[in-house]
Amino acid sequence: MTVAGHTSDPESGADAGRGDVLAPGRDEGRTERERREDVEARYGWRYTLGQLRRDPTAAAGLVVVGLVTLVAAVAWVDAVLFDFLAEFGVFAGLGVEQYALAKAVWTSPVAEPAGTPRLLPPVGLENQFGEGTLAHPLGTDHRGRDILLRLVYGSRVAIQVGFVAAVVGMLGGTVVGAVSGYYGGRVDDVLMRFVETLYSIPFLVLVLSLVAVLGARENLTIIMFVVGVVYVPEFARLIRSRVFSVREEVYVEAARAAGVSTPAIIRRHVIPNSITPVLVQGTLRVGTAILTVAGLSFLGFGVNPPTPSWGRMLSISRDYMIQNVWFSIWPGLAILITVVGFNLFGDGLRDALDPRLKN
Amino acid sequence: MHDPLLTVEDLQTHFFTEDGVVRAVDGISFDVAPGEIVGLVGESGAGKSVAVRSILRLVEDPGRIVGGEVRFRDQTLVGFEDDATAADTAGDDRSDDPGDEPGSQPGRPVPRPEMLSESAMRQRIRGNEIAIIFQDPMESLNPVYTVGGQLREFIELNRDLSGRAAREAAVEMLREVNIPDAERRYEDHPHEFSGGMRQRVLIAMALACEPSLIIADEPTTALDVTVEGAILDLVRDLQERYGTSFVWVTHDMGVVAEICDRVNVMYLGEIVEQAGVDELFHDTKHPYTQALLNSIPRPDETVEQLDPIAGVMPEAIDPPAGCRFHTRCPDAREVCTRRNPPCRTVVADGRPHRAACLKHESAFPEADYWASRPIGNLERPAPDARGDGDE
Repeated sequence: MTVAGHTSDPESGADAGRGDVLAPGRDEGRTERERREDVEARYGWRYTLGQLRRDPTAAAGLVVVGLVTLVAAVAWVDAVLFDFLAEFGVFAGLGVEQYALAKAVWTSPVAEPAGTPRLLPPVGLENQFGEGTLAHPLGTDHRGRDILLRLVYGSRVAIQVGFVAAVVGMLGGTVVGAVSGYYGGRVDDVLMRFVETLYSIPFLVLVLSLVAVLGARENLTIIMFVVGVVYVPEFARLIRSRVFSVREEVYVEAARAAGVSTPAIIRRHVIPNSITPVLVQGTLRVGTAILTVAGLSFLGFGVNPPTPSWGRMLSISRDYMIQNVWFSIWPGLAILITVVGFNLFGDGLRDALDPRLKN
Repeated sequence: MHDPLLTVEDLQTHFFTEDGVVRAVDGISFDVAPGEIVGLVGESGAGKSVAVRSILRLVEDPGRIVGGEVRFRDQTLVGFEDDATAADTAGDDRSDDPGDEPGSQPGRPVPRPEMLSESAMRQRIRGNEIAIIFQDPMESLNPVYTVGGQLREFIELNRDLSGRAAREAAVEMLREVNIPDAERRYEDHPHEFSGGMRQRVLIAMALACEPSLIIADEPTTALDVTVEGAILDLVRDLQERYGTSFVWVTHDMGVVAEICDRVNVMYLGEIVEQAGVDELFHDTKHPYTQALLNSIPRPDETVEQLDPIAGVMPEAIDPPAGCRFHTRCPDAREVCTRRNPPCRTVVADGRPHRAACLKHESAFPEADYWASRPIGNLERPAPDARGDGDE
């Protein structure tokens, strides 16, 4: 990458003749500020984030992604981390248990509170079961649980699934694609035929059959990994095409000439220079993975029943659509907003990282 | 006379492409004494870069070293069993070999047992004993890491240093190549360095492990002249202090004159002249070298017009029969179209001066050059007739 404003050579200065052998460069002449500006010029995280902020849709995506992730992180601590810690006497003694936080602030998202009307509409609306109240701003579900609370705790499943599946796909795809692209030849043939075989099976069919074979109807962990594995082919192909050009770079040859081993060259030189499109695609895939797992939940594959998840909420609300349509609308909206947020963010990231689109 | 540090003997590297076999390096021999700067000169496509990569066994598919020997001190970097390479030893008239069929892959020569394994090359030779500096300083550093980090990685890899000590050694090397404010520039990324500064960093990398030999593959070609001068001065200065030998690949006769002790001139995969730098410039023995010298301006002579070499270099996939230069040689005679002369000593006294041209009758009595008919395939218009078209 050439950097604008940095073409003047310190040694080609007017009076730096051949005579002054070891004349220092003129970089002294450039102020710290100028140098730092060069650093920021089209390079690094700070620049990328700056570009994102200037792009309104990407910024909106970033805000959505940030908010949902934050909410999901809190929910994850409360639902998963506390559940894990409660097994240790020390923490249990401190009152740590699953949903301790939710209970402290409000109520458990899984308990069925006695006396709360079922299928209440959002605040300000009215249906056959009663009038919406501020106590349940988005209404209640078929068992009288608060929808807002269940949405919050459902985000944990969505985000966890999205991130884990995307990361599994990125890691697997990067390793397979980088090795395949760097070695080329027979290694490439074997790996790519394998990857293409995976690629040729329809996505949902592959996921469903893998989940069924692994007997993991209600095992979220296995489902996340399966979705991630199914993403491996596209990441592998993506990075492989970049690796083909990066492996011809002089610095790769220089590393080889310096005695660096092949795995180290792939790890230190090839992958970092080919990873950009994978990061962008990964961001977009978080959204798709959320959608996929919501779809799987809808079909009955996913978390165990009391645990809130958006897909399952949608699935159950089907039966109550006539009585309280909001029960279906809220989880749908949550999925929509989150997925669109990741897509906007991913698109913005691609624009920010692609120098050809700069104006 | 010292034992040579590096000996290259009849090295052959061919590229097996779909269109046929490209003989990029076709039997070159030269050596490098300790502390010597040896030039490898020639036009683009003469096979210089492939030759030096072959020394480190860095040639990639479809290229392959098919014959010859490379010895470094007492180690065999390249060496094959004799019987396996027998098919390739065709003597003087090498070009009379029938060309390989397109796509055909002759049996690979069998490496001799003492030839270093790939991992020994990696751990002991590359970067450690023999370092290489590439042509384009803009592309030779990985853009995602700091310059200091790359230098340090290299030092950790090849020297027994790590952590702080490696960092200090890296900063020390940056100082050594006169990068101002080395401590701070250590943290900078390659794109914050100018071309000349990057080339200094690459030299620092090459020197970092105090190799006995540095291969410089046109290291100053991408730089402008003043920077080139500064780099050459730096190299000479470091060479005096470290006693490193260099193989200096270039197409620039000016650089050769400035830095080299001895010179090998390459044309189309072969070495056509080998001499000390003074002898080469003042007692040129090969018409190709002469043509190269005529095509550059010289400060000690006033010429009306520079004399570019006529024609273009033929493709190495289909080299001309006989002497490979005869299609462009002003001195070519009929015998040159039939015989491809090997490099033989033409001036014996002092350092050997070798050339591969039949016109040196003492070295090539069998060719009977002077009795042969000049082919005059490149009769040039007289200098005064040249401007006619413009007037």
